[in-house]
Amino acid sequence: MTPNALDMLRAMARIRAFETALSERKDHGFQLLSSGEEAVAVGLASALTERDQLLTGGRSIGPAIARGVDPRAVMAELLGKTAGVNGGRAGRGHLSDPASGFFGAHAVVGGNISIAAGVALAKQMDGDGGIVAILFGDGACGAGALHETLNIAAKWKLPLLFVCNNNQWSVSTSREDALAPARLSDLGKTFGLPSRTIDGLDVEAVAAALGEAAQSVRRGEGPAFVECISIRLRSHSTTARETRKRDELAELRTRCPIRRQIARLGLDDDAVEALERDAADFAAAALAFAEASPYPSAAEVLTDVG
Amino acid sequence: MLDSAVVATKKMFFREAIAKAVREEMALNDRIMVMGQDVGSFGGSYREFDGLFGEFGAERVRDMPVAENASIGIGAGAAAAGYRPLVTITYMDFLMLGFDPLINYAAKLRYKTAGGLTAPLVVKTTAGAQGQGVAHSQCIEAWLMSVPGLTVVAPSTPADAYGLMKTALRADGPVVYIDHKRLFPAPGEVPVLESLVPFGLAAVRRAGTDVTITAHSFMVRMALEAAETLESEGISCEVIDLRSLAPLDMPAIAQSVARTGALVTLEEGQLTSGVGAEVAARLFETTGHRRWARVGALPAPVSSNPVLEAACVPDARRVAEAVHKLLAR
Repeated sequence: MTPNALDMLRAMARIRAFETALSERKDHGFQLLSSGEEAVAVGLASALTERDQLLTGGRSIGPAIARGVDPRAVMAELLGKTAGVNGGRAGRGHLSDPASGFFGAHAVVGGNISIAAGVALAKQMDGDGGIVAILFGDGACGAGALHETLNIAAKWKLPLLFVCNNNQWSVSTSREDALAPARLSDLGKTFGLPSRTIDGLDVEAVAAALGEAAQSVRRGEGPAFVECISIRLRSHSTTARETRKRDELAELRTRCPIRRQIARLGLDDDAVEALERDAADFAAAALAFAEASPYPSAAEVLTDVG
Repeated sequence: MLDSAVVATKKMFFREAIAKAVREEMALNDRIMVMGQDVGSFGGSYREFDGLFGEFGAERVRDMPVAENASIGIGAGAAAAGYRPLVTITYMDFLMLGFDPLINYAAKLRYKTAGGLTAPLVVKTTAGAQGQGVAHSQCIEAWLMSVPGLTVVAPSTPADAYGLMKTALRADGPVVYIDHKRLFPAPGEVPVLESLVPFGLAAVRRAGTDVTITAHSFMVRMALEAAETLESEGISCEVIDLRSLAPLDMPAIAQSVARTGALVTLEEGQLTSGVGAEVAARLFETTGHRRWARVGALPAPVSSNPVLEAACVPDARRVAEAVHKLLAR
């Protein structure tokens, strides 16, 4: 067992506990959770350095925490509190903390992809050696913004890593029903990008594949495309109806990336309990911090508009 | 008051005034870059970037593929990351393809990050009818005026094209800069020395006492033509060039209407939820109702057919008719 493998397991467990604690609150509002997709977030974060920036779609909580944004400020943000990372006005769809390497989420599906290419262009022109990763779902693969951006990023050899977290569902529409390519990584191939499809439930495989892809981007070889096939253990959002059958969901739970990593590392009961305690403490500390912070005053509605 | 300060000027076409502004600002600030279709060695669809590619190189003057959405998105992302892109969208109709990055991202970035990030992005586009048909002629600036966080300017003279572009390239937030196909052929005096035109300041193009006509972009010419005709009939028109649509210079409009007592709002775009409706509503909120008529396009698409195009968009004759009708009330 490498220490890194255990760290990644701990990071995944923390995200799960964090999102679970959030969703159990009555005032959680509208949230997009990433249960079943933690290995993608954590594996991706392991491939990035301090000089890099990560941008995501709206399913941003796991990636932001994995990237190292202060979880207390994330929780406060999600609950609309002033101690939030954006003063409580961005919410899960628009979290942003460039100082932590999390340039931001943008909750329009596909909308952050061209933005990420702009950040990558700035990095290329600055020549600071950093790269940009853009994380998007399979839903974004039907959007024109991805195709326009792939083309330009390829032509300009932008330092941009395209990471598709294919959780196989756009709300209630399956990836099979929505998208024509046999593999979503074929979209990258079309534009000449090194492109792979990998198991997004295996955190070590994700870390290895994205680490390798990030290296090629960092060497100036232009963008790369990695499709990580994951699962969505919960409905689209905390307010969306679950459309899948119970037995289907039960089967999905047997493929949980956290359980898989626990089994791989052969943790005994004590170790699992310690893992769960650590995750629960992590979530509780974030909640306590958020609780203590006030909501913004209504007078702030007109500040920082333009 | 009339712009009367004496400054050294040179006669320039609109496109030359734009190029002068962009050239000066690019020389001052190496974070400024131009991105758009045919902006490189071609020099822009209207040659408004003539020479910049040779002077500043392919890194700072970038030809884009036909990808308006990604062009504005990449511009917005680079802006958020510290650059100052000027993205050109050949026709305003195509701006719709880039509304997501412009409106959902750039215009909201400062707000959603509580001031942490801004998007100093200029999107330059060309509006107006000139024989190019239903999807190459529209004036949709009124749509943009309702977006919090977005600045919208539409110069009518080469001097303002120059001064507003310079201000736009120094602004902190996204600016939509709108020029007009029918403004390009006519030259005008442009300050030789560096000068800026601030946002939110209208200009009185003609002083008058009987009626105030507000307009922007090419329609300022139509207003001035109508004012000329009306003067020979004994009607004195004050013509206000709005220049900046968001923010609007309401004090200038209010002062003028307080003297004339009558308002005609003129625009090339649609009247419904239009610039004129906004000007009038904002004015009457503070002054109470005043005599008002609005002139704009008929509620139809703008055809490339010359008869139908001319029938759709306003001209000086329609402005004069509206003034007559209003003053006869």
